[in-house]
Amino acid sequence: MRLYVASLLLSVAVFNTVSAAPTGRIFVTNERSDSISVINSTSLTIEATIEIGKRPRGIGLAPDGSKLYVAVSDENKIKVIDPVSLKILSAFEAGSDPETFAVHPNGNIYISNEDDAKASVFNPKNGEQIAAISVGLEPEGVAISPDGKRVIVTSESTNMLHVIKAPENTIENNILIGARPRAATFTQAGDIAYATAEISGEVFKVDMNTGKILKKASTGDSKSKPKDVILSKDESVLYVAGGRSNQVVVMDAKSLAIIKNIPVGKRVWGLAMSKQGDRLYTTDGVSGTVSVIDTGKNEVMKTIAVGKFPWGVVIDD
Amino acid sequence: MLKNIIIKILSAYTLILAGSNPVLADNINVTFAYIGARDHSALRGVQQGLEEANLQGQFLNQTYKLDIILSDNVLSHDFSPYLAVLTAVDSDTFTELSAALINRPVFNLSIADDKLRVACLKNALHIVPSNKMKQDAIKQWQKQASGTTAKAQAWHPDFVKFAARDLNKRYKKKFNISMDDYSWAGWAAVKMTSDAVARTNITDPTQMLNHIKTALSFDGQKGIDMNFRETGQLRQPLLLIENDKIVAEAPVRGIANITALDSLGILSCEK
Repeated sequence: MRLYVASLLLSVAVFNTVSAAPTGRIFVTNERSDSISVINSTSLTIEATIEIGKRPRGIGLAPDGSKLYVAVSDENKIKVIDPVSLKILSAFEAGSDPETFAVHPNGNIYISNEDDAKASVFNPKNGEQIAAISVGLEPEGVAISPDGKRVIVTSESTNMLHVIKAPENTIENNILIGARPRAATFTQAGDIAYATAEISGEVFKVDMNTGKILKKASTGDSKSKPKDVILSKDESVLYVAGGRSNQVVVMDAKSLAIIKNIPVGKRVWGLAMSKQGDRLYTTDGVSGTVSVIDTGKNEVMKTIAVGKFPWGVVIDD
Repeated sequence: MLKNIIIKILSAYTLILAGSNPVLADNINVTFAYIGARDHSALRGVQQGLEEANLQGQFLNQTYKLDIILSDNVLSHDFSPYLAVLTAVDSDTFTELSAALINRPVFNLSIADDKLRVACLKNALHIVPSNKMKQDAIKQWQKQASGTTAKAQAWHPDFVKFAARDLNKRYKKKFNISMDDYSWAGWAAVKMTSDAVARTNITDPTQMLNHIKTALSFDGQKGIDMNFRETGQLRQPLLLIENDKIVAEAPVRGIANITALDSLGILSCEK
């Protein structure tokens, strides 16, 4: 009996290890193909395409990598996918028009509900809504500090970063930035956040302890409508998806000076960085491609055709 | 009690230290005046803007109110409580109001007459596009679609790009009627003023007029940063509508750069 339990425990342990081992896959939501493109990050080729449902947008991984979550906007659901078998495991109601979300280190999902001026918190294990927090109009981007203590939700039509304390889920601060804030990201230490303002074409650097804007800078090009923003692994460089300027803007993270513009596909929105920091992936909506950037050279090394209007991208590494 | 006083002193001190960053100050209460018919669609837009201003205001200790002033004998009214005056009136009344309310922002939410633009009334802020802007938009489109019967508009209920969908949805939900050019103008006038209050804490009408005319960076949910010409006209993209469907946006791509908003309408004042 004891032997049986031990072997059972061992097999559970082995199974867990196996299921949590990174697949090395890159997952991309295709907003107008109702699908997920699965890219092999070694060969940089399409491995599979998953039919997911109407208008998939936001995408994220569980903290242990065991589950892939996708906001299927026109079905008002988040669907849960096994990143190994690529099977849809379950789905839960995620409020009206779920779009962008982030996964908290505790496993809960923070999502913006654009039509309701609210951010909601869900437990993806049972689909239960844990909290709903009133924020500004057209909530959009969601970012969570690495320690999980703060969540930023951007409100596009109220021009604010709403800073939510977690797990209390209460508003700590509301920070006005430029017109149409779209996305934000934290430093590893969580003391600084960077955010984009699409219509004013700016990037903001904000002190998260005081709520004060430390710096702001234009993304240059008048066509530039910045969307996603992400830091290099050493946090010295900031990458900004330039939207309709069809380029990734590379900025010095300290001064926000533009170092370089990397031409990618049309209407670049989504960004994801490999764990090692050597590759940056972009979703080029109008072109229907993912651009792979070598961050050593800050040059595109490959362009991969995916579905129609690729939106979000995550890497299981 | 003493604790409360100390907190108040500390927060006042924080305010001083914070410098140009707008921070939670004492309550700011702003009142707008609306002059026009009660059933004019511009008023619904104003009310939509007011609701959104208060939604933002709750995070900043700011409140926004509206007084509706009926059109008879408006000039005798005391306008001193108002940060800005929003109007849906005829050209003559607008010109009289503008002259009477010198140094106070007076928004034009309904008149397309080009004469009001070239007159360059110092406090006039024309949100609706002028006739010439619409004509130029149609001309640009004719180069690509000869024989077109399209007309130009500031807004359309089918407009979905650039989060226009969201604004159309909010408006329809509140009033159960579609947003038109006048209601978009009413919404935009309140929204740009309340955005400016939120960013600058300005409550003085003269300072507000100066800010709006010189430092505006407004998201009118049409995908591009908007500001004013010296004529007092809001620069904006227009929609070309044929059989009640959106067929193009102006500046028309391929004819003029989308960012070249000055390809539409009159740019300077009458000399």
